[in-house]
Amino acid sequence: MRKLLHTVLLGLLGAGIVHIVVLMLVPEFSERDAWSRLAMASDLYKMTRLDAEAGGAPVVKSVDPLFYAAACRFDLAEGMVRIKAPGNVPFWSVSVYDRSGHNLYSFNDHSATGGVLDTVVLTPAQMIDVRRELPEELQGAIFVEAPIEEGIFVIRSFVPDDSWKPVVSQFLEQSSCELQDY
Amino acid sequence: MLKNAFLTLLSLAIAIGGGGGSVWYALKAQDGVGAIRIGQWTAFPEIGTQAADPYSKARVAREGVLALGRAEGLSFIAERDAGGDQLRRECAYMIEGRFPTARFWTLYAADQSLGVVDTDRPRLAALQSYQVLRQPDNSVIITVGNRPAPGNWLLTEGFGRMYFVLTFYDTPIASSTGLSDVTLPRIVKAGCNA
Repeated sequence: MRKLLHTVLLGLLGAGIVHIVVLMLVPEFSERDAWSRLAMASDLYKMTRLDAEAGGAPVVKSVDPLFYAAACRFDLAEGMVRIKAPGNVPFWSVSVYDRSGHNLYSFNDHSATGGVLDTVVLTPAQMIDVRRELPEELQGAIFVEAPIEEGIFVIRSFVPDDSWKPVVSQFLEQSSCELQDY
Repeated sequence: MLKNAFLTLLSLAIAIGGGGGSVWYALKAQDGVGAIRIGQWTAFPEIGTQAADPYSKARVAREGVLALGRAEGLSFIAERDAGGDQLRRECAYMIEGRFPTARFWTLYAADQSLGVVDTDRPRLAALQSYQVLRQPDNSVIITVGNRPAPGNWLLTEGFGRMYFVLTFYDTPIASSTGLSDVTLPRIVKAGCNA
């Protein structure tokens, strides 16, 4: 009987250890995280709609029904990435996520010059290079320094009512996510 | 000999089963560490950031969430009314009160997976602050139910559990200091179609 009690106690102790280990490993091994879902839907440097409007199930969960959103994956090891979207919409906001879906940086249209979305994501090392001589075409861009390699860029845009749907759709369709030569 | 092997197996089974099961359970529960409660509304300002606790991090990885950033907005979720009962799709509710400062807010009725409730009609089960009618004191009264109502009407349909998701965009309350003296609207049950 004492032996059984001993076994159960040992088992519970083990359960505690397993609990902690599994909890720490879930983010490492998840195949359902945002990166993996996006990877199934499209390539690197390709803007992909996250909402269900573009057909099919939504790629990533918890998008406000009054919002349209698009995302692209990038790899800063290949170079800095420039994201642009033309047009005027009632509200847009963007976020930079790392590989495991942590929000690193976000801003909205009030932070941008003239409300135009033009931004460059780069590593601190690339930032030093760019600062030395800022190219003319990057003058108006917002620079986001992120100490990462792989990451996700998300644009969200507000659709106040049905009449805005085509405008906001077009805003996201025309957005680009490109490797910037420097 | 056989008894020893059995005891070893038993303790291993408890360790692996109990450990794995408890993680699964902890990740399924809506309530969690790092939650901020204001009335019936719950928010997770830390979710999806580097500063989040390990449970939130695991949940983010498992569900593929891309959480709103601080400069974007902050979401609150309600699962109970002011009387403490779970929100149900077959019931009618009144959401009334003042809303904190934000550029705008959206409110929608959600199902278990926090996607918008499917109404089978062109009208979405969602409202936003530019389209609502306000009281003289700037507070808002919203009627929730499947019958059209005068004033502000949030359509819901069907049966089962329901959640309200209230998101404030471009708001000072998303910074941690702004959350201390925020009041959010009350959710009062008006009646049910039993």
